[in-house]
Amino acid sequence: MFETLKHIVSENWRWRRQVWGLAKIDLVRTYRGAALGKVWLFAKPAVYILVYWFTLSFGLRSASDINGKPFILWLATGVFPWFFMSDMITTGSDIYHKYPYLVNRLKFPLSLISTFYTLSLLMVFGGMMVFTILACLLTGVPLSVYLIQLPLVMALMFVFWLAWSVMLSPLSAISKDFGNLLKTLSTPFFWISGILFPLDALPRIGRIIMAFNPVSWCVESVRDCFVNDQWFWMQPKRFLPFLAVLLVVIILALHNYRRLYTEVPDVI
Amino acid sequence: MSSKAVSTVTRLGEATVIRDEDVSNPIAIRFDHVRKTYKLFKNDRQRLLATFSRRVKYDTINANDDLSFICRRGESLALLGDNGAGKSTALKMITGVCFPTSGSVEVHGRVSALLELSAGFDAKLSGMENIQMRCQLWGLSKEESEELIPEIVEFSELGRYIDQPLRTYSSGMKARLGFAFASSIRPDILVVDEALSVGDRKFSKKCRNKVRDIMAKEDVTVLFVTHSTNMAKEFCQNGIVIQRGHAVFSGTIGDAIDFYTKQ
Repeated sequence: MFETLKHIVSENWRWRRQVWGLAKIDLVRTYRGAALGKVWLFAKPAVYILVYWFTLSFGLRSASDINGKPFILWLATGVFPWFFMSDMITTGSDIYHKYPYLVNRLKFPLSLISTFYTLSLLMVFGGMMVFTILACLLTGVPLSVYLIQLPLVMALMFVFWLAWSVMLSPLSAISKDFGNLLKTLSTPFFWISGILFPLDALPRIGRIIMAFNPVSWCVESVRDCFVNDQWFWMQPKRFLPFLAVLLVVIILALHNYRRLYTEVPDVI
Repeated sequence: MSSKAVSTVTRLGEATVIRDEDVSNPIAIRFDHVRKTYKLFKNDRQRLLATFSRRVKYDTINANDDLSFICRRGESLALLGDNGAGKSTALKMITGVCFPTSGSVEVHGRVSALLELSAGFDAKLSGMENIQMRCQLWGLSKEESEELIPEIVEFSELGRYIDQPLRTYSSGMKARLGFAFASSIRPDILVVDEALSVGDRKFSKKCRNKVRDIMAKEDVTVLFVTHSTNMAKEFCQNGIVIQRGHAVFSGTIGDAIDFYTKQ
């Protein structure tokens, strides 16, 4: 187990320059073929946020300022991380089918495919966070000292979703069922994870279940930086379950990787 | 080409894979009793169940069975065999994209493979970006890639097409780009599949000349995989005949071709 961890980490370290280059190429790849190019990376989330905002504040009339911050900021800090996570849930869990030529045409360490894909999505997410901060500054929404924990939250998100991708991609490569299952689960996760409603509204049992939901943790922690004004590590009821889930996912990722990485090129 | 001397030894159950970039080793490639078994499942459900349980039954097929051969540094060796003899599987293990089930594979030097030239490009990216990406994947430094890219572009004869997305390329154009890259990166070991017949007659001739150029460099090892005996005779000194995944003959190219054609 530790062997595998050492192996993956040293591989990633040795290829760090390539990982960075490939993440940038992957970014180029996603907006290639469109005249507006990079605009599309931000246009889609922006439209979604406006639609949710419209529905919740005028249709359902359930929008109200939270912790003295505008409702739309609360919404944006939930939906932006969700876009990162939704790509990780659907595509990140089946990454070898996205880059088959890196698996069976070239000699390339498999774990790196997950790394550079996660990194490329994280760069887009980072861009959205910068956009949010600029929008706050322009509209005069006060930013607090709690914003400095954002890089740490993003680093933890990176580690979790990287492990997620390494854990599930070998299984998805072997059987389409995993890929389909996760694509099916993507929408339910969006609706139950407290992206569009505050988790406090749930009954106690629901809150306990949600504490073990990594999507909720990521969303809530990003909101800690902008809206809730609190340190995420001071919320042990959320943070400790998340750490437990993170540990389990890392262990399963190492287990699956070690057992299946020689088989993946034979089945892709 | 790269300054990194990375040696990796991978042990997987009964199999060992040793790869390094030590070009002073007199042996370039060594296969020692290599077996590669593919698992054949009745259907996808069985394959899925097998990831959880070891009790699921499956059929096996040995693509390489007790395959042993040695390719010395600077040698040009032909692997002769019919379709399905296990040539491609052996090549995949040499290039490192798949792993043996048992036995040991040793590769000393950087391998560039001219196989399935049009495969392995990203259709969304332009020809130029694909080359840059390949350079990244090869672990070339920025200076090295900057030096190589004009050479690759020129050899591919794609002209202004180089900045167009790859999905607009014809198969011949893709193959030209693939050949230009694989032959320009100055490998220690060059693996050539049935790839020299790409493009029109003129380009095909250019490719042959390029391979001859590469072979003229004395420390480059060339592995030719073919069932065309003419091609083997043209390029190689020695030959190995593979039958049902097993090396049945090894000798000079003339003898190997005699043995192969007499079967």
